[in-house]
Amino acid sequence: MRTTTHLLAATAGVAALALSACGVSNTAGGGGDGEEYPAGNVEMYVGASAGGSSDLISRAVSKGLSDELGASFPVINQEGANGALAANKVAKAKADGQTIAIQNASLFAITPLAVSEDEVTDLGDFDVVQGVSRDDYVMVTGPKSGFTSLDDIKSAKKKVTYGTTGVGTGAQLSCGLTYGSAGVEAEAVPFDGGAPALTAVLGNQVDTACLQVGEAIENIESGKLTPLSVFGPERVDYLPDVPTAKEQGLDVEVAQYRFMTVPKGTPDDVKDAIAEAMQATFETKAYQDFNKQNSLTPMEIPGDEVVTQLEKDKKRFADLVAEYDLDLGAS
Amino acid sequence: MDVNAFLDGFGLVTEPQNLLYCLIGVLIGMLIGVLPGLGPAATIAILLPITYSIDPVSAIIMLAGIYYGAQYGGTITSVLLRLPGEASSVVTVFDGFALAKQGKAGTALGVAAIGSFVGATVSILGLTLVAPLIAGWALSFGDPEYAALALLGVLLVATIGNGNKLKAMIAAAVGLLLATVGRDSFSGAERFTFDSLQLTEGIDFVVVAMGLFGVGEILYNLEERHGKPHVPAAVANIWPSRKDLKQSSGAIGRGSVIGFVLGVLPGGGAVMSSLAAYAAEKRIAKRPERFGRGAIEGVAAPETANNAAATSSFIPLLTLGIPANASMAMLFGALLILGISPGPQLVEERPDLFWGVINSMYIGNLILLALSIPLVGIFVRILRVRPAILAPITALITILGVYTINNSTFDIFVMIVFGLIGYLMKKTGFEPGPMVLAFVLGSIVEDGFRRSMLIFDGDPTGFFTRPISGTILAAFVLVALWPAAKALLARRKTGSDDTSEPHVPAGHR
Repeated sequence: MRTTTHLLAATAGVAALALSACGVSNTAGGGGDGEEYPAGNVEMYVGASAGGSSDLISRAVSKGLSDELGASFPVINQEGANGALAANKVAKAKADGQTIAIQNASLFAITPLAVSEDEVTDLGDFDVVQGVSRDDYVMVTGPKSGFTSLDDIKSAKKKVTYGTTGVGTGAQLSCGLTYGSAGVEAEAVPFDGGAPALTAVLGNQVDTACLQVGEAIENIESGKLTPLSVFGPERVDYLPDVPTAKEQGLDVEVAQYRFMTVPKGTPDDVKDAIAEAMQATFETKAYQDFNKQNSLTPMEIPGDEVVTQLEKDKKRFADLVAEYDLDLGAS
Repeated sequence: MDVNAFLDGFGLVTEPQNLLYCLIGVLIGMLIGVLPGLGPAATIAILLPITYSIDPVSAIIMLAGIYYGAQYGGTITSVLLRLPGEASSVVTVFDGFALAKQGKAGTALGVAAIGSFVGATVSILGLTLVAPLIAGWALSFGDPEYAALALLGVLLVATIGNGNKLKAMIAAAVGLLLATVGRDSFSGAERFTFDSLQLTEGIDFVVVAMGLFGVGEILYNLEERHGKPHVPAAVANIWPSRKDLKQSSGAIGRGSVIGFVLGVLPGGGAVMSSLAAYAAEKRIAKRPERFGRGAIEGVAAPETANNAAATSSFIPLLTLGIPANASMAMLFGALLILGISPGPQLVEERPDLFWGVINSMYIGNLILLALSIPLVGIFVRILRVRPAILAPITALITILGVYTINNSTFDIFVMIVFGLIGYLMKKTGFEPGPMVLAFVLGSIVEDGFRRSMLIFDGDPTGFFTRPISGTILAAFVLVALWPAAKALLARRKTGSDDTSEPHVPAGHR
C-alpha cells in the first residue's frame, strides 16, 4: 500500500513537471496563436474597492472567463482616482491579454470634466474588446422633503440640495444637469460613494440624491424613498413606473456603462478569445441572475460600438456642462 | 421582535453544517485579524466564489464570522508588537504595549478577549431587541453631527495622552494636515499630491499606523539591541487575575454601551467608540496618570467598545441596506450575489437569514472566546523571541500587510517614511497616537463640516440649532472647560476668589 502511494506521488510529480514545462514553452512561443491564450493567470484590475458594483461585475465576469478559458482570472483591486490607477496598470502592461480590466465609462466621459488635464485617462491607450452592462442612475427624494415629482422640484421655492456619489461621477452629472436644465437653484453635496449619499437622503439630510439604481432600489420598493426620474435612454426594467428625464421634458441622458479593455496593440486573436468567452458568460443563467440582482441592464455590444458611444457621450456631456455652466470640479 | 422567527433562527444555526461554517468563518477571521493589512473586506472578496455553491444562510454566517473574528485577532499585534491593524485598535496600543513590556501581555490579551466577548454579546442583544429603533436614530445623524462628534474626538485625542500636552497638540495638528492629502472630494482639486496619481486617494490609515508605530518601534529597538531585551524574560502571569478582572469590569460594561451606540453610525463609528471609551475611563479613574503606563482598563475599554461597535454596524446593513464600512459593503455584495437584497424588507422577506446570521453571532463569539483564551498562552511566547529575530519578522509582516491593502509598492515606501518619522518622534518625546487618531478624525471633521455648510447654505448657526449636534458641541465645551472650571473651584475652596480668567481654553492648561 505504501509503495503504491509513493508511486502515485511520483507519477503526479512527473506529470506536474511536464505540465509546467508545457506552460513555460507556451509563454515563450505564444503571442501569435489564439489557441494558446491565456498563458497562465490573467490579472483583472478593478479601479474600485471590493464590494462595489464595479468590483462585483468584474468578479462575475472573472468567474465566467475562467470557466470558459480554463485559466484563473484573479481580480486585483487598485482603488483610486476614479479608476485611473487601475487604468494605468493596464495601459502600461504588455499587450498580450494577460493584464485586462473592465473599466467605467465615467472615467473617460465624465471625470475629464472635473479634474485637471494631465490626470485624464486616454482612451487611446486601450483596445475596447466588449461592452458589458449599463448601470442606471435614479434621482430619489426622502419622504419628508415634500417632493413627489420632478414638477414639484421645478416649482420649489427654496434652494434644493442634492447628494451625489462624488466629484466627477455620473451621479453628480445627472443631478446637476437636471437642476441646470430645469433652471432650479440647487446645491450639490458630494459624498464619498453611494452608501453615505443613500444614508443622507434617507435621513433627510439632503432633499434629493442621484444614486445608482442598485443602491436605491430596496428603499424605493419599501417606500422609504420616492424615485423622481431615471436618466437612461429608456425606462429601466427594474423601475418600470419611473419616467426618464427626457419624458419629463429635460434633455438629460446619463448612464454608467462598463466594458472590457486590454492594452493597445493586443493581437486580434487574443481579443476575439476574450470577447467570445465573455459572450458565452453572458449566456449563462448565473450571470443573467447576477445582472437582475444588481439591477444592471445588459449592454453587450461590440467594442467598436462602445468606443463610438464613449466619444459621443464625452462630447455631449462637455457641451451640456458648458451650456448650463455646471461646475463639476476644479478642471 | 418576532419570537418565533428568532427561535427558528437558533434552530437553523445549531444545524451541524451551519455550526461548521460559523467555526470556519471565525477561525479564518481571527487568523487574518492577526495579520495587519489583509483585512476582512479583502478576505471576504477572496472567499466570495466559494459561497456560490453553498447555502446562502451558511455562506453569510461564515462571511460574518470572518468579519467579527478579525476584531479579536487585531488586538494581538497591537499588544504584542505595537502594530495596530485597524484605526479602532490604535488606543489599545497605549496601555496594551506598556503592559506587554511589563511582562503582563497575557493579562492584557486575556482581558481584551473577555471584554471583546462581553462587548459583542451586549451588542448582539441590542441588535436582537432594538435594531429597528436604533437604525432610525443613525439616520438622524447627519454631517453636522459627524463634524461635531469628530471635533470632540480630536479634543479627546489631545487630552488622553500622558506626555507633554503641547507635543500632543503638535502631533495632532500634523495628523490633521496629513488627512488633507489627496484629491479634494468636493472640488476635485489636488492637495499635496505632488502630481502623483498614487496620492489622489490620500494616504491609507494602515500605512500611517504601521509606519509610525510598527516600523518606528523596530528602528528604535535596533538602537537598544545591545541593552535590555525586548521584555522581561519571564512572562509572569498568563491569566488575568481576579483583581485584574474586577478592575476592568466597569470598563467592559461602559465600553459595551459606548461601542454599541456609536457603532451604529456608518463611517468613523468604530474609531470614535474606542477613543470615547478610553477617554471615559481615564476621566473617571481615581488615578488617571496610570493610563498610558499599563492600566488594564485602558485595554479593556477600547477592545470592548470596538467589538461592540463592529457588531452593531450590522444594524444599518440588515435594517436599512446601508453598508457602514468596507467589510459591510463586501457582505452587501455577497448577499446580492446570493440573491438576497439587504434592505428594510429583509427581516420580513428572509427571517431565516436575518435571525440565522444574528444568532450565529452569539455562538461565533462563544467559539472565539474559547479559541482565544488558550491561544493567549501561545501568542505571548512571541515576546520571548530575541529582538534580532523578531524585528525582521515584524518588518516583513508590516511590509506584506501594507502591500495587500492596495497591491501597491508605493505604499510600502510611504510606510517606511512614516517609520522614520515615528522613530524621530519617539526620540524627541512625541507620541504617535494623537497623530494617527487626528489623521483618522481629520477627514471626518473636514468633510462633515464642509458638507454641513453646503446643506446649511453657508450659515454655521445650524450646528447649534440641530438637537444632536448642539448637544455634542455642548459636551465639547464642557470637556474643554472642565479642567479650567475644576481649577477655579479648587481655588475658591482654598479661599482665593480671583476669578479674572474664567475662560481658559482647554489646550493651554
